[in-house]
Amino acid sequence: MSGRGGGRGGGPSRGGAPSGGHAGDKKKRESILNLQTYVDQSIRVKFMGGREVTGILKGYDQLMNLVMDEVVEEYENGSMPSRELGLVVLRGPNVVLISPTDGSAEIENPFN
Amino acid sequence: MDALIPFTTSGSLVDLVDKKVLVVLRDGRKLIGVFRSYDQFANFLLESTVERLHHQLDYADKDIGVLLIRGENVVALGEIDLIAEDQVPLRPVPSQEIELKIAQENERRDRDHAVRDRVLEAHGFVVDGREGDAY
Amino acid sequence: MLPLALLTAAQGKPMLVELKNGVTFNGHLVECDNFMNVTLREVYQTSADGEKFWKMKEMFVKGNMIKYFRIADSILDTAMEEQERARQSGRSRGGGRGGRGGPPSRGARGGGPGRGGPPGGGRGGGPGRGGPGGGRGGPGGRGRGAAR
Repeated sequence: MSGRGGGRGGGPSRGGAPSGGHAGDKKKRESILNLQTYVDQSIRVKFMGGREVTGILKGYDQLMNLVMDEVVEEYENGSMPSRELGLVVLRGPNVVLISPTDGSAEIENPFN
Repeated sequence: MDALIPFTTSGSLVDLVDKKVLVVLRDGRKLIGVFRSYDQFANFLLESTVERLHHQLDYADKDIGVLLIRGENVVALGEIDLIAEDQVPLRPVPSQEIELKIAQENERRDRDHAVRDRVLEAHGFVVDGREGDAY
Repeated sequence: MLPLALLTAAQGKPMLVELKNGVTFNGHLVECDNFMNVTLREVYQTSADGEKFWKMKEMFVKGNMIKYFRIADSILDTAMEEQERARQSGRSRGGGRGGRGGPPSRGARGGGPGRGGPPGGGRGGGPGRGGPGGGRGGPGGRGRGAAR
């Protein structure tokens, strides 16, 4: 009982440090992901339903709608062929994962 | 006494804290662990969790540790009666044995489904993905 | 300890995240928010069938796609100790929030106001805080839950 109350009491002191810092950096920005750092960089975006897209991030908004250029769309298990789509607007609600392609690579099983 | 607790998720989960519970997830997994805490979305924390694999009356447990489960993925969650639990005629077996049996069963089921899908398609039905939660 | 409180406390620690589609990620948690969105770094992705692997420097995952997090026991223990320590010091200071939090805390509010805090402009502040937050609350349950 009091443990759980303590959880929330402890919250501000713990969350206070990071979120205080963020309040300073973020101004009005609410997202934990600062897409500004990825603008004009190549990123990989996964969607609900298994589609995956790589391309250059050109723009975004708070709802995580994205504008991307030189977009290539593929299916995560290769069940359908990939397509080149050019300049695209991607709907935020369907986005599930965003990652820069720089520093990403397919690898062998790392757990052995 | 029960009437005083509001009929909400929070109201019914408070009694489970620190109890041994069985959780069934939407992907079919069965997890057994100690229910530590929850929130208004029924996200919850399980400690000392094991995943139990079943094949008929055989079972095998895999240690998983601490899990933070997102509430919407849960089908069912209930307290395990520690006395009744010992009376269930389940037989523990090594996990490789169970995994093999389950893999064989899955293979058989996939083959059957492939046949069924072909027949359905031949009759003009649309066969769309697989059963259950397709994300 | 509330589930999302543990997640916040586990920032910087390694964990495993499984998504609803079965893909798993092993990496260090950078940040999380009230929607359970997380950013991870030094991530190893395993496909749902366990056959393919990727390494990524960093990534962002939407909370509504997550099935669960697997966290080391030591992280839970440390977080609970921290919480206990914070509560003790909160109490000795006159325990404003800790004290108020006591009775109604049974999952009623899920730590929204406690974590967001007044000055920060509120993570996931919900409709009261303005359009974008509410928009992201989209599915509705979360936005309303956080806003009370």
